[in-house]
Amino acid sequence: MTSPRTQELIEHWRDQPAPLLSLLHALHDRDGFLSDGVLREVARGLRAPLADLYGTVTFYHHFARFPPGKSAPRVCTGPVCRLRGADALLDELRKDGATPMACSGRCDEPIPVLTGDEVHVGVDSASLVNRPTPLPAVRPDGGEECVFGGIRDAGRAKLAGYGGWAALERAVREQSSEQVIATITDSGLAGRGGACFLTGTKWNAVLEAPGEPKTIVCNADEGEPGCFKDRVLLDHDPHAVLEGMALAAYATGATQGFVYLRYEYPQTMPILEAAIAEAEAVGLLGERILGSDFSFRIHVRRGAGAYICGEEGSLLNSLEGKHPFPRNRPPFPVTHGYNDKPTVVNNVETLASAPPIVRNGAEWYRGLGLGDHAGTKLISLSGDIARPGNYEVPIGLPLRTLLDDWAGGAPGGKAIKAVTMAGLSGGFLAGDDFAVTLDEPSIRARGSFLGAGGIIVYDETRDMVVAAHDVMKFFAHESCGKCFPCRIGTQRLTERLAGEAGPASLADWQSEVVDIGTTMKATSACGLGMAAPLVTESLLRCFPEEVEKHLGA
Amino acid sequence: MTTLTIDGQQQSFTPGETIYEIAERAHADIPTLCYDPRLKAFGACRLCVVEVEGVRNPVASCTAKATDGMVVRTATPTIDKHRKTLLELVASENREVDVDPLRGYASQELAMLVDRYDARTGRFRGKASGKSQETDQNPFILRDYDLCISCYRCVRVCAEQEGDHAISVRNRGFETQITVEFDGDLKSGTCTFCGQCVQTCPTGALADRKAIRATELPGPIEKARTVCPYCGVGCSVDLQAKGGKLVGVLPAMDGPANEGALCIKGQFAFDFVQHPDRLASPLVRREDGELHPASWDEALDRAAGGFMKARDMHGRHSVYAVASGRAPHEAAYAVQKFIRVGFMTNQVDNCSRA
Repeated sequence: MTSPRTQELIEHWRDQPAPLLSLLHALHDRDGFLSDGVLREVARGLRAPLADLYGTVTFYHHFARFPPGKSAPRVCTGPVCRLRGADALLDELRKDGATPMACSGRCDEPIPVLTGDEVHVGVDSASLVNRPTPLPAVRPDGGEECVFGGIRDAGRAKLAGYGGWAALERAVREQSSEQVIATITDSGLAGRGGACFLTGTKWNAVLEAPGEPKTIVCNADEGEPGCFKDRVLLDHDPHAVLEGMALAAYATGATQGFVYLRYEYPQTMPILEAAIAEAEAVGLLGERILGSDFSFRIHVRRGAGAYICGEEGSLLNSLEGKHPFPRNRPPFPVTHGYNDKPTVVNNVETLASAPPIVRNGAEWYRGLGLGDHAGTKLISLSGDIARPGNYEVPIGLPLRTLLDDWAGGAPGGKAIKAVTMAGLSGGFLAGDDFAVTLDEPSIRARGSFLGAGGIIVYDETRDMVVAAHDVMKFFAHESCGKCFPCRIGTQRLTERLAGEAGPASLADWQSEVVDIGTTMKATSACGLGMAAPLVTESLLRCFPEEVEKHLGA
Repeated sequence: MTTLTIDGQQQSFTPGETIYEIAERAHADIPTLCYDPRLKAFGACRLCVVEVEGVRNPVASCTAKATDGMVVRTATPTIDKHRKTLLELVASENREVDVDPLRGYASQELAMLVDRYDARTGRFRGKASGKSQETDQNPFILRDYDLCISCYRCVRVCAEQEGDHAISVRNRGFETQITVEFDGDLKSGTCTFCGQCVQTCPTGALADRKAIRATELPGPIEKARTVCPYCGVGCSVDLQAKGGKLVGVLPAMDGPANEGALCIKGQFAFDFVQHPDRLASPLVRREDGELHPASWDEALDRAAGGFMKARDMHGRHSVYAVASGRAPHEAAYAVQKFIRVGFMTNQVDNCSRA
């Protein structure tokens, strides 16, 4: 039976840029799930192979294929939430059809439960409450901030409260593309999603690359467990992110932009759409911005539950409606991005840093770092820590200063046993490692990396093999399945950490785990498979006695 | 001229070529599982990684374009160790590695590599991946996904070579499962049973159901190159015989017209050759109106008599011959010669064209 409304939705979306996810969401919102019949109609309407569409829909964790689907609660069982009793909450809500979901980015106030388009947080069913993203605490040492500089101002999410797009106005009226790029390059701003690629170099590559239309993609698929910094920026300072996108567009000649927003931030969607509408209404987005020849439109596209879509190749494939596997590189998105045209893919924090840098100058931004380090980094702190939350730290800040002085150490006077880096991807730091400073060279010297800046804290009572298992299980769950070392390796490492399979002797166990990890790091096709073995590597380095105990048990 | 060094040897190349393509030309024999030269490079199995001087991590040679002056080493101890580990991992996810070669053209690839890299170690035991689709009882393609290693060659050959887009992949990570829409039978979707997925499968997870009926027949598999008679495309095939019987058809990967492609008829429709209903001697209709077995002399005399009578009564254009697509090319040739030279008419055709 043909549902006319499905046809209406297909006709509405099929001529829009990047239509597939939006169309599927519209149908998923309407029915609560994606039925066979609906998928058949979508395939026909978009002239896409049905088998491919079916496969791609099953890739995304949040697209339900059967009722109750979207209306059933999903309980976060990410590593921080498991420290807070997520399993018990999940059991409590099973009567309502609850299922687990991977970390959904509320590690600062666990445990989130996603029902429909609402997120409630609480540690048991009685305490669940829908509340907005908390603002970051005031920087304890009183130092100057960049991206958090105005975020606590009242009404900041509105254009008036934000104070207008002064940086864009200045750029469009007074500066060439090259001048904007020079400022960003001189500031030393580097990719804050964790790859640390110099932003000015990326923008310049897109400016120089042939092919149109050029695209700016804001990567808001903040899927790394322990990371929730992009959420606070998008919820409380959306104009900074959008203005950053517009600056990138002006600098590169791009005419369209996408915010790729993770599914688990449903309340962020209307905030972004309202901010875009406000900017369009006053001519800051749209055709002939500020009376110039510069035109730029931004579309919000919502992911559907896949960590790998934070990887830029997967993200671009997802936007294009393809199966979201990472792309082989080179070519890179700067020349072959969205629809194979030059594309900037930048993290939320990177883009939000651009307006203050253009307003205040490159020197100002460089000066915010400690020593030779340029600028600041947002750190999301969670787990066994007295004051979890987002902190904007000067790059080069000692880790200990952040943990003890800024965030109050572990609660209850306990000692901190270990922390993760880069959310989970950097593995664990412990013991002597706590002497690091928060900058890439210092952390890389310990075999880890700062990445997107998530730090999960484990106090002295935690079992690190259990913690490592939770982490590896996440990577196994989120592995896209394309490359062999990651697809099989994350599974085998998870089994070995769970004690479900693998040798019983420490020497053999270690030999298997090390061999798998070494080959994953060297041969995996993207960062997920390369980073996952840092977990077992750091576990064996920092806590060999716990591994031995695990095998003995 | 652009050149690079592979294992100490200078090789010239055309810009745009991958390291793998150049290395193959230089007979470096780099192992692969997800590679099929007819398909776009995919980069899944990572067995083809090589060392490139100045690059920290090994590089997947199938997707990496060569650059001038590059220095490549294809088989260092480190690289070979990664390959062994990868093969041990792949072997650990399957029910078995050794399969009957009748399963398909590429079915021995995994077993051969596991032997080459001494990877029958039994390490990395754990859960198996992929689940065989036992409910799909189609007569042509066995879907034994217990042996699947998720190399996506079937998915890609179906899309890129055949254009059917019938095969896709459900879920992700270790839960990845090759499937069709709604996990149905192959016939429920757009599959045309061309068999290309079977022939590119490197583990025998997709298998030629007709050929494996002959698994128990004695003797080695013998092959004979010929051209499929079913239509005018001219696909090259290798007929497989075992125990004195025709047991299967393999597409010729080097066939100039088909490059490894066949259709359902060329791939699977050969049962008539040994069918019990097939006539073993001529039949002649006698006065009782029934067909009776007869000698060749009697049958040919009767046929010749009938043809001559028709020609004498109605002229040479009263005769028309249609050759069968199931007959060999030699027979088709003989028929047109017979009609053209024997009757002086061009009224001859072949059923494959009709």
